[in-house]
Amino acid sequence: MRLARYNTLTSVVLACSVAAAFPALQSAAETCISPYIKALKQPEKVMYLWALPATVGEGEDFLAVIDVSLASPTYGKILQKIPVGSSGNEAHHIGFTDDRTKIWAASLNTSRMFIFDVGEDPMSPRLVKVIDNVPQLTGLTGPHTPYAIPGRMLISMASGPDGTGPGGLAEFTNDGRFVASHNATNNPYETVVKPEFNRMITSTWFPQKTWMTPFDKWDPSTWSHPNTLLVWDLKERKILQTLSSDNDAVMLAARWMLKPGARYGYNISSAGNSIWMFKMNDDGTFSYNKAADTGAGCSPADLRQSPDDKYLYLSCFMGSEIQAWDISDPEHIKLHDTIQGVVQPNMMHVTYDGRRLYFTNSAISSIDYSPRYSMQLVQIGPDGRMKLDPNFKIDFTKAPEGPARPHDMLLN
Amino acid sequence: MIKAIAACALLMVAGVPLFAFADESAAVSANPSLSVIARAPDFTLRDTSGRIVSLSDYRGRAVLLAFIFTTCPGVCPLISQQMANLQANLKANGLFNLKANLISVTVDPETDSAAKLREYAASYGADLSGWRFLRETPNRTKPVLKSYDEWTRLLPKGEIDHPARVYLIDQQGNIREIYSLAFFNEKQALIDMRALISQPDRVDSKH
Repeated sequence: MRLARYNTLTSVVLACSVAAAFPALQSAAETCISPYIKALKQPEKVMYLWALPATVGEGEDFLAVIDVSLASPTYGKILQKIPVGSSGNEAHHIGFTDDRTKIWAASLNTSRMFIFDVGEDPMSPRLVKVIDNVPQLTGLTGPHTPYAIPGRMLISMASGPDGTGPGGLAEFTNDGRFVASHNATNNPYETVVKPEFNRMITSTWFPQKTWMTPFDKWDPSTWSHPNTLLVWDLKERKILQTLSSDNDAVMLAARWMLKPGARYGYNISSAGNSIWMFKMNDDGTFSYNKAADTGAGCSPADLRQSPDDKYLYLSCFMGSEIQAWDISDPEHIKLHDTIQGVVQPNMMHVTYDGRRLYFTNSAISSIDYSPRYSMQLVQIGPDGRMKLDPNFKIDFTKAPEGPARPHDMLLN
Repeated sequence: MIKAIAACALLMVAGVPLFAFADESAAVSANPSLSVIARAPDFTLRDTSGRIVSLSDYRGRAVLLAFIFTTCPGVCPLISQQMANLQANLKANGLFNLKANLISVTVDPETDSAAKLREYAASYGADLSGWRFLRETPNRTKPVLKSYDEWTRLLPKGEIDHPARVYLIDQQGNIREIYSLAFFNEKQALIDMRALISQPDRVDSKH
């Protein structure tokens, strides 16, 4: 009887319990991280920044710990740097494990993975493991984004074992034991999962050999289907569909909308200066269409979203501009606001309440065109409009913070 | 239950969309990839009758292992309810106990006495022949939790925070899947357990 009574109410109660227990599913939520990660439920106190020396190979890559607690006397200051014991790694993206106790830091050039413990003392990360032999373990190179799935990390790997050709996804346990590799048909950039649909989308850029070559010698003919997104059955780790953008290429950041049940999302094309929309149809197949042009000369580098699915934020790496897009009418998105004159903006991070956006301005050492490296903060109003905060700027052009190239950030 | 329904009503009033989780057609995969993730650390704990139980006692059977505590206000009742549904489905498929077992381990043995765990199990209609609720003294529980990376910490309001994971362990004692409590789907878990049972020697290749 007891069981029967439960069964009757199961679907309703499950929905309620999940919604109550997991703020990540509600409108005040940290965006652009894996939905499997324990959500940050309060204003950020500390930022972790993954950075490399301004002159590549001269000094160690490092994880910086930055005070971002507004009430703190050291607000906006680097509290410590944790060097990784080697140079030339090309620090790039970082990701939390599902329980938020570890940070995986990927390095583009050496394919090394660095694991930092931030569970014991979030203000003092400890480097607990270095995986030196990622290509040998996985058959893949050029790790881009570490993405949490339950108890494991899924790493989008850009290329094959020699730094060319298609890449794939590499799966590790949270403590760094290799589990499996899954081949892709392009050069995976980023992974984004919508768990309730058992669907994963991977975007694409180019193989390791490309970014390790001077920019004027890049050869797009060596890239594997740079105009595609891949739709995967997450449980099967199987590619179900290839979405093609025709001529727009280098499909970087992708974002599912956060509302439970939302079947669509967007991604940027860096070479196409455009935003694309992917959408799951009633029959489970996906459609893929251009949503907007970002303007010639933009070269979109990163795409972030507000917690309420109303705005997208886009950095124009070449255009020295940050754009806010109103996506409240999903099929007819429109440019809502811009901040101009911010040189070379790249990675961004929106806070859990959608009110602040931190951004850095180094992409990769072979394409950075300005040495004026910094981290800045944008305040976002309830109407999605942006204002550069004059009271927050970390200058990475000289000591003590630099000279360094700041790239990806996480908040805690 | 009443609390859960009241919370639901509040959330609906607040406009929190719920339809995705009430949707019976939530995606499942018929051909799951179940790579060997790691060796499942063995443990020895006690059931609600005080009998010694080791994970290695379950060799030859598929096991779903959850870490819970009886005073958990959110996800533990959810996962225990879903495991109750899974128990019913395993029974309907003739797999329960003989080929597939459920284990719930408390992460809060100080509060969860054997009697409390027994009461908790009964409230979910647990058939203890194939779904055991395990505990030990805090000192003996701690290393078990650590071996599964299952830390606990007290939140400001006194609630216990812990990683929201459920483990699927195969007949040889390997972890073959890790589920998130937030997105646990008992229909998928049934498919996964059946896949292990139907191919007891199959281990997905690394590449």
